[in-house]
Amino acid sequence: MTAPDDRGAEGPGGLDRPRRDTTPAIEVRELRKTFRIRGGLLGQDRQVVAVDDVSFAVPTGGVLGVVGESGCGKSTLARLILGLLPPTSGDVLVEGQRLSAMDRRARARLIQPVFQDPFASLNPRRRIRDIVAMPLVAQGGIPARQVRDRVQEMLARVGLTAEQGERFPAQLSGGQRQRVAIARALVLRPRIVICDEPTSALDVSVQAQILNLLAELRRELNLTYLFISHNLAVVEHVASEVAVMYLGRIVERAEADALFRAPRHPYTRALLASVLTPEPGLGVPDVGLGDTLPDPANIPPGCRFHPRCPVAEPRCARQAPRPVDGAECLLLEAEQRPAA
Amino acid sequence: MSAPLLEVEELRVAFGDTAAVRGASFTVARGETHCVVGESGCGKSVSALAVMGLLARGGRRAAGRLAFDGQDLLALPERAMARLRGDRVAMIFQEPMTSLNPAYTVGSQMAEVFTRHRGGSRRAALDRAAGLLAKVGITAPGMRLGQFPHQLSGGLRQRVMIAMALMCDPELLIADEPTTALDVTVQAQILRLLAELQRELGLAILLITHDLGIVARVAHKVSVMYAGEVVESGPTPALFAAPSHPYTRGLLGCVPVPGKVRRDEALGSIPGVVPRIRPGFQGCGFRDRCAHAAPACEGAVPRQQAAGGHAYLCRLPPGWAEAERAA
Repeated sequence: MTAPDDRGAEGPGGLDRPRRDTTPAIEVRELRKTFRIRGGLLGQDRQVVAVDDVSFAVPTGGVLGVVGESGCGKSTLARLILGLLPPTSGDVLVEGQRLSAMDRRARARLIQPVFQDPFASLNPRRRIRDIVAMPLVAQGGIPARQVRDRVQEMLARVGLTAEQGERFPAQLSGGQRQRVAIARALVLRPRIVICDEPTSALDVSVQAQILNLLAELRRELNLTYLFISHNLAVVEHVASEVAVMYLGRIVERAEADALFRAPRHPYTRALLASVLTPEPGLGVPDVGLGDTLPDPANIPPGCRFHPRCPVAEPRCARQAPRPVDGAECLLLEAEQRPAA
Repeated sequence: MSAPLLEVEELRVAFGDTAAVRGASFTVARGETHCVVGESGCGKSVSALAVMGLLARGGRRAAGRLAFDGQDLLALPERAMARLRGDRVAMIFQEPMTSLNPAYTVGSQMAEVFTRHRGGSRRAALDRAAGLLAKVGITAPGMRLGQFPHQLSGGLRQRVMIAMALMCDPELLIADEPTTALDVTVQAQILRLLAELQRELGLAILLITHDLGIVARVAHKVSVMYAGEVVESGPTPALFAAPSHPYTRGLLGCVPVPGKVRRDEALGSIPGVVPRIRPGFQGCGFRDRCAHAAPACEGAVPRQQAAGGHAYLCRLPPGWAEAERAA
């Protein structure tokens, strides 16, 4: 785990209550979420384990990147941390407080989301300024004038004009809409922002603008991000630490530099190999994952990655790996303890 | 590589008072992959649809020349064009779920393509379909034939789309963002599959994408589109070695590449938004966002040859970027 960052002490958002600097901004303990899928007339109900015994902590000012394929549970994890879904078991602590013990308004002051699709997450029938004002209005008791000023200030901060504030979402481009979503997320001056694929729906040139804006805001406001993306190159650019998820579990977690320089888990290696950088002549790599696809309703025994793993051994189908230095792989355990 | 299989010269498409494609030219030869790359609204998908004669209502198409295997498509009646589509020219799209019919099984949809163009029995068509599903790497093809699209994963659906596109042995495959909706691991598999099929069948592939990473890895030739124009084009290695249009350079700078930009440094980005171009627009479509814009950019823009042997559409002289970096 990274050393806690103490720049947060004077941060503009931390005015309300004294806070010990060593308290992680986000802490997740043995978090688990299962869903029941109705089997239909004759079929049996099936259980989907979306998040399976996940624990981690993110220090104030840090950025934890969460990567994995669709269905790996990364968006469920985001929803659990936002309090939008109750966990089946385990705890989410935000700035040392249990999320489940907080009321909605207190939670909104601490933690806010930015979602993937700025088309779906903005009310099409409201003006931009009203959309951005909504979290302030929902808090109640803030004078209208103050709300207006705070909204203007926030719009300007994300690069939107007062005139754009008068428009409706449909009149803005995708990038401008994502700026609106960011303004709305930051208008309450939260400490933590959960970014769930914030640039996946955007063009690359606009993605770069939004990533740069998120980075500036984080430095300026000493924000902590949980940054979810399927794009490893994006995560490499923004994250200080990276968690790789596979079928509900974090199979590898490491400092971003270490993970990208020397990935340890075979799944992380395959993901990294799949990134197509704009370098001609290299061709498309054979990532060696085969044709079996992960099914969260049918998690394989032993190591859950073994059916796709290019280096799996027979024991991987029987024995579940334990985490060793942040990576869950039997082959790595063997490396660590040759004399066992 | 002999005469190009698909020739597109000075293609123009307009919808109402928006000029979507403004004089795009490109060719695709047998056994070759030509990537058309650009961001939303640049006209890349509309160009492909225009080639196929599939523009939405209200779209107007004009071209200097539009030919498939020497045959003039501009003069071809719709009925003959319909015979070509799905037969000698096949198309796959980004989201296979919207291009597969949810109410029919995979087998019946694949068989229909074949019996419509080639006739013969349904049984024979289903046998062919099973063979092609196996070819695109689908295990238990017999079982898949009886399944409905919603029972398949995204990667499987895209493989089904590719297999369906191959039913009539097409010579040209037009693929519009075929891997954009897929996970990176599956994307790599699908792109490898397309390359294998191309080697084996001599397919000409017109691949439309927004992803310069894909372009670099699979294209023989590339055309970069912006605001309805091909602003830079040529053999992939030459273009990537000396990108010469300010937009191409800007776009390359925006792509995060592991290890290229330090975490605390800003990524390159292009300020502003893509303009809406009206018919009769003059000059360079990129000038409002370009750091090198000058009054001359409002006039006619020359198409120039860059050092590495490719063309770009800009007033700046060949080698300007290198000279700027040296200065």
